[in-house]
Amino acid sequence: MNAAPAEPILRVVGVTKRFRGLVAVNDVTFDVPAGSICGLIGPNGAGKSSLFNLITGYYAPSAGEIRFDGRRIDGLDTYRIAQMGIARAFQIAKPFPELSVLDNVRIGALFGHAGARNVAAVTAAALELTGLASLADRPALGLTVGDLRRLELARAIAARPRLLAADEPCAGLNPTETEGVVDILRQIRAAGVTVLLVEHDMPAVMRVSDTIFVVDAGRKIAEGPPEQVARDPRVIAAYLGTPAEDAPAA
Amino acid sequence: MLVDGIRAHRWWLVGAGIGLIALSLAPLFLMPFHVRVVQQILFSAGLAVAWTILGGFAGYWSFGNTAFIGLGAFAAGLLETNIAIDSPTLAFVLATLFGCAVCAAVAALLAYPILRLRGIYFAIAMLGVSQVLGELTNNIDAFKGSLGIILPKLAPAAMEPQVFYYYLFLVAAAGTLLVGFLVKVGRIGYGLLAIREDEDTARMLGVPTERYKIGMFVVSATLTGLLGIIYAHSLGYITSGSVYRTDFSLNMIVYSLLGGIGTLAGPILGSFLMVVLTQVVLGRLLDIHMFITGALLVAMVMLAPRGLLGFAENLVRRRGAGLRTVEP
Amino acid sequence: MSLVLQTIVDGLVLGGLYSLAAVGFSLIFGVMNVVNLSHGVIVLIGAYVSYILWHALGVDPLLAIPVAMAVLFAFGYVYQRGLIQLAVDRSSLLASMLVTFGVALMLRNLLVLVFSPDFKSITPSYAFNFFTLGPITLDFVRLSALGASLVLLTFLAAVLRFTGIGRVIRATAQQDMAARLCGVNARHVYGVTFGVSSAFAGASGAILGIVVPFSPPDEALWTINAFVVVTLGGVGSPSGALLGGLLLGLISTATAQYIGPAFPNAMMFLILVLMLLVRPAGLLGNAFSGSR
Repeated sequence: MNAAPAEPILRVVGVTKRFRGLVAVNDVTFDVPAGSICGLIGPNGAGKSSLFNLITGYYAPSAGEIRFDGRRIDGLDTYRIAQMGIARAFQIAKPFPELSVLDNVRIGALFGHAGARNVAAVTAAALELTGLASLADRPALGLTVGDLRRLELARAIAARPRLLAADEPCAGLNPTETEGVVDILRQIRAAGVTVLLVEHDMPAVMRVSDTIFVVDAGRKIAEGPPEQVARDPRVIAAYLGTPAEDAPAA
Repeated sequence: MLVDGIRAHRWWLVGAGIGLIALSLAPLFLMPFHVRVVQQILFSAGLAVAWTILGGFAGYWSFGNTAFIGLGAFAAGLLETNIAIDSPTLAFVLATLFGCAVCAAVAALLAYPILRLRGIYFAIAMLGVSQVLGELTNNIDAFKGSLGIILPKLAPAAMEPQVFYYYLFLVAAAGTLLVGFLVKVGRIGYGLLAIREDEDTARMLGVPTERYKIGMFVVSATLTGLLGIIYAHSLGYITSGSVYRTDFSLNMIVYSLLGGIGTLAGPILGSFLMVVLTQVVLGRLLDIHMFITGALLVAMVMLAPRGLLGFAENLVRRRGAGLRTVEP
Repeated sequence: MSLVLQTIVDGLVLGGLYSLAAVGFSLIFGVMNVVNLSHGVIVLIGAYVSYILWHALGVDPLLAIPVAMAVLFAFGYVYQRGLIQLAVDRSSLLASMLVTFGVALMLRNLLVLVFSPDFKSITPSYAFNFFTLGPITLDFVRLSALGASLVLLTFLAAVLRFTGIGRVIRATAQQDMAARLCGVNARHVYGVTFGVSSAFAGASGAILGIVVPFSPPDEALWTINAFVVVTLGGVGSPSGALLGGLLLGLISTATAQYIGPAFPNAMMFLILVLMLLVRPAGLLGNAFSGSR
């Protein structure tokens, strides 16, 4: 299979995930073009995290298929998917607590995407990009929330992914920190990595994304460039239009 | 990666080499009693390092590694006493290979199901495995566990037996340490560290967790079996009670904990201190060895949960020295 | 046929004892997630308390039960507040397991020093009275042991269900943080739970002496017994302990009867390992939620 430039790097085709009676993801289809930043948004409980867990192999879909670079990945073990070049940054940072920042990132560089690499150079570059170089020798245990989020990104970058799945990298950050993360995402894309982003911070996701997919109650309800999605009446009804009901904590 | 790791730790290798040379020459100068003490240290340190390869690096604490001491000893002993080979040396070598192979095979069979258990459940399941093997060896006549097996004498006539076994233990312990070192400084070592810290995240990062865990379980079991086989021959006569010993399982953990868990120097330091303490300092107080081991275990967990090396590192760091992230 | 019935009855007698000996272990595991590896030695301390009272003062083992319970309640409370809680705070639950292991070794060593490593048993005056019920032979000692075990288990179940402290213990087991937010002094509750657990272990020890001989190294076996009972019956409840204990008792006597007298231990460990591997959720599905 030859990957033409227009070929999407990730294709989600008719994917459904049921948990006993509950349908968390219902027949969702979308394509992520190579080299883009795509945003996945939707109200709480819409199925965004389930979709992420399906793409990264945490769950196997009940129906449908997921293709990465033309090859089916649904049902593969998570570590195989990671070796094929998908990395994930968690919303709730999961550092290796007793290891230093450097070793955390180094493990990303030693594993992750299969193939030749210069571990030291990759590690240094990831630390540099995320601005963590000065904290390299600190144990991950004592980092601030903002630093932990950047460590999460640094470790994912060090895994040299072709697709980075970032789960709410801006959640709980102040505007300056958010700006920093948006900047990092842009630089990652500039380095040729495709980014799929779940994000609640609307201004951030609108600013950074090329394409946005909207899910609600397990279904995809809209897709398109940010400005178009923002005007979509279904999206407004499901999400943007009723902030008082959907965002009690805001 | 492995080459980089070895280069980064070359001074440790130099130190270990000097230690090895010193230990090789030591029997020329030591009294017989002290030869036996050092032999005991080598045996204990070898076991603790073998345990560390899975328990210390990957965080899978086995409470029943003595299963492989017993398994190796009995498998080798049964073959050796039933094989029709004139040369005792050749019989011993074949029996040793066989015993190690049995340990590796049993570990490989057990590995997949038992390593799906985590934390205390893995620990207790391993304790159960060692007890089952011990009980079966003791109660099934074919294994001669209660009757015992008399093993052939191997030491050449010109050599004191304790000196001969001293060298066997030295080779086995040094080999175990070398394996542990190569695992630790290579890519696998970082993978095991990631498994210890957070197994699900490790897998998400592309660490082949199952393969690493199973591989290290087999390696650890085989090395433990090797040490068990030598131990059995140094006794000359084994019963299930003399090799399936829960205190062996316990000591591996206590020694590693005492020195510093997850390091290689830790188990060695811990074994040295404990053997010297119990054999030399308290040699006449056999009655309270168990009490001392227990008290030490409690004291270490309460006062220095990262072991003596961790304790020392904290002292150094408090004086303003830099943090070393991974010490061998 | 009579052999089968006799085996079942013997199994139930032994099983009642296993249930009572394990219920405290199960409670501690359920409420604070601590695996108490010194549980077996606490059972044995109960046995030695009963032994001293019978030997020195001629007190009947069944009357020694309240004494053993009182002594070990106090011991358990202090042990938890003074040592185990500190270990949990300082590092991890695994650390608490190591601490209890260390304490078990120390206490076992002390028991050996005080009472010698020899087997002891308690033979009250009615030890040799027995009666037959159709084809089955029952002696008073074993019957009273089973009766006492069942009464005590029922008593504990009632305490947990109907009293204030019992409700608090159950609430803490389910939702540690929520109970704390409701003003429960979790540390005190943990201490009391440990005390109750040790008291019932002590009670089982007091009875144990009239059914089977005991010696200090047995403590490991009693701890593992408790673990197997929890594996079979489920964690944190007297009814689970009863189910697991009776099953273990039946398996144990049946193995001795039909496979060979040397094999009950091997069978018990085999069941432990197999249960962990095949069905870590316990027979009823409520044990070991965190094992994978």
